[in-house]
Amino acid sequence: MYTAIEWKLWRVEMKIYSDDMKTPWMCDKCQEELIMEKTNVLYIDANFEVELMKCPVCKMVYIDEDLARGKMLEVEKALEDK
Amino acid sequence: MDLDKLLEIGDRCINEEPPACTAHCPVHLDVKSFVEEIEKGDFKKAYKIMEKRIPFPRIIGMLCDNPCENVCVRNNKGGAIGISELEKAAVYYGYSKPKKLRPLPPSKKTIAVIGSGLRGMTAAYDLNKKGYKIDIYEKNSRLGGRLWNYINETLTKEIINEEFDFVNSNNINLYLNTNVDIKTVEEIAGKYTAVLLSSSDLVNQYKCDNLTFQAGDSNIFSAFTEGNNNSIIFAASAGRRAAISIDRYLQNVSMTASRENEGSYETVLKYKDDEEEEKKRVEKKSHIYSREEAVEEANRCFKCQCRDCINPCVHLKRFNIAPKSYIRNINHNERIIQGSHYANKMINSCTECGLCNEMCDYGVNMKEVIEKTRESMVLRGKMPQSAHDFALKDMKFSNSERFLTYKKEVNKDKVKYVFYPGCQLPASDPEYIERIYTYLTDNINEGVGLMLGCCGAPADWGGQQSLMKESADLIKNAWEELGNPIFILACFSCGSNFEKYMKEIEYISLWEIIDKNPLPETLSGKDLTLNIHDPCTSRHNDKAQESVRNILSRLNCQVRELKFSKDKTKCCGYGGLVYFANREQSEDFINDRINESPEDLLVYCTMCKDLFISHNKRTFHMLDLLFSDNLEEASMRKMPSLSDRQHNRMMVKKDLLKNIWGEDVEMDNDEKLNITLTQEVKEKMEELYILLSDINKAVMNSIETKERFFNPKDSSYLTRLRIENVTYWVKYEIIDEKITVLNVYSHRMEVVEGGNENIQ
Repeated sequence: MYTAIEWKLWRVEMKIYSDDMKTPWMCDKCQEELIMEKTNVLYIDANFEVELMKCPVCKMVYIDEDLARGKMLEVEKALEDK
Repeated sequence: MDLDKLLEIGDRCINEEPPACTAHCPVHLDVKSFVEEIEKGDFKKAYKIMEKRIPFPRIIGMLCDNPCENVCVRNNKGGAIGISELEKAAVYYGYSKPKKLRPLPPSKKTIAVIGSGLRGMTAAYDLNKKGYKIDIYEKNSRLGGRLWNYINETLTKEIINEEFDFVNSNNINLYLNTNVDIKTVEEIAGKYTAVLLSSSDLVNQYKCDNLTFQAGDSNIFSAFTEGNNNSIIFAASAGRRAAISIDRYLQNVSMTASRENEGSYETVLKYKDDEEEEKKRVEKKSHIYSREEAVEEANRCFKCQCRDCINPCVHLKRFNIAPKSYIRNINHNERIIQGSHYANKMINSCTECGLCNEMCDYGVNMKEVIEKTRESMVLRGKMPQSAHDFALKDMKFSNSERFLTYKKEVNKDKVKYVFYPGCQLPASDPEYIERIYTYLTDNINEGVGLMLGCCGAPADWGGQQSLMKESADLIKNAWEELGNPIFILACFSCGSNFEKYMKEIEYISLWEIIDKNPLPETLSGKDLTLNIHDPCTSRHNDKAQESVRNILSRLNCQVRELKFSKDKTKCCGYGGLVYFANREQSEDFINDRINESPEDLLVYCTMCKDLFISHNKRTFHMLDLLFSDNLEEASMRKMPSLSDRQHNRMMVKKDLLKNIWGEDVEMDNDEKLNITLTQEVKEKMEELYILLSDINKAVMNSIETKERFFNPKDSSYLTRLRIENVTYWVKYEIIDEKITVLNVYSHRMEVVEGGNENIQ
């Protein structure tokens, strides 16, 4: 349901995004610092595997505003028009 | 969706029909594009446009008798456009050598062309381009017939020779000084695959068909049509049409198919020039227009095209599209299986107001087309989820127990009427509902019940037919339980939906009721001067429109009608849920309407008022004039936030049940937490359709479960909660048990935390 190019773009941009990440956030419940880990994100019929920051114990994933309102929104819109 | 039917509607649109000049021109020069290039000062491009249609443009451009000018719509407004002079200017300033075309593979078939006037030369030129061998027979010693009589300073011998240079091709043989009479024609016809007669003496001997130019079923063709025999351009056209016939004859294909618009014809386009100003034709100061004079003359051209629906519609303007092409886009959008549905955004940017249908002489109704298209998108699972999601959730809220209710009048077993204020009026102006209800029960003896809820307009606009049916069923059930009363409606979107989905329910507008009764004692809006903006959903309700005007007259208000009013009124920008699907498009509608109105606006639809005021236009709702405590404040009162709108609806239900029926209802309220929102957060909530209840739920969940991130630098928290199909993120701090929300955002994508069972 999504093209290989879109998938790659998403991967590349997420990688750039991940490399730049220096988050001040830590998991409040587990009191752990966040780590980068492969995570699945889903929308409509698409399923991407991307690296995102998460708590190593409870696996709660952190999505920052730039990602949510930037690349994520863009991919949501593209998938909605598929 | 019946796509064949859809395309039939598109075929009715005449936007692409040519203007009178082009249709009347027997070679169909694209006069509009030609003049547009001259207006831009691009004489080269203008010449190229001539070259596409006119054979030997440097000759014909200088000699054309321009029948196009006789039918020019400008004739009544200062004189026809000087197309003839503009053609001369294009030749003079814009000529460039034609590109050498790669010749087609030569054909073994040879055609005899008898006579080398403009008819014969045009046919020879066209047939040679198609690869046929041509033998030209000419009784004189040079080609061109009478053309040489027209030599002057702009049409020189050299130009004629250059234009006829194609005869030097290897595929063309010239037989000059060779007279062909009727006897030799038959002889020649035996030797060639086809013969074209372009000399009038010979043609008279044959009876040729007017459409195919063919003599019987022989290989002899004529380059003459009936009439117009002294016209240069009709002569060239006849030569060209005869060449088409000969080519078809030699290719052994139909001689008659698809030839309806060959030669001069009448266009269906009737350009409306009522609003065009008179402007005199530009006179040339020399033998030819100067560049500046040509540009000025080109500027007078109306560029005739049917834009009757486009001109008043900012949606069609924003996408720069006419129904014909719009429908082609929808057809493509409906048929594609893989790839992007590029037309989605456009389809969701139409307000479904129906003005296009009012403006169109051919019954092209885009409102109906868009309705059907959105329904089809929903059925096929291709409607973008984000387009209408919030509005549909808001509708669900209004039809939940938090707002939905219906009651008979206190102490009455039977009610003749039920007042149904809709969902937006109680959200924007909650204080009016009880006042209106009391006014109605004071004035109507036969009993007036009350029903609160949403008519389903968001579902109808969003193409969600099953949700629409659910809403209609809710109303029908209530109607039956209340004993089939007449609905008194304060909103015309409700009215449209009642007509479309609840035909069995009789309804009347609140304005007709007020018109027939004494005005409320609370009235404060007198002696105002106003422009009326009729809501687009009231377009065909002339009774209600009249009642509104009657009430204003009783209030001694002066009404100044807008150009687009009553059945031709425009949408405020809320219709069709465009406000949610494409905010920029919605703003176009708002600006278009408020700029049309020099006076303060009077509206009688809540969303129209809210949208106009959001762009700082002083706007009164009819109810402000009748029921407001503070008219000035009401005319500029900003639309409540999305959260406040829902809260207001709940309070209307709670207060009315308490004050009128003496019933106490418990309502969920979002004020359990002591939460403060920064101004920036409040603005973002509106932009991103985030409700206070969403924030409350996320914060409460994070406090209970500790599912949140902590920033040790500033001791703030960040949490997320997925509610239905959206994940809400809330950043907050807690100081002295007081929660301050510092940021909010959301996304629709689901993030799998750990296993699939834990989606955020």
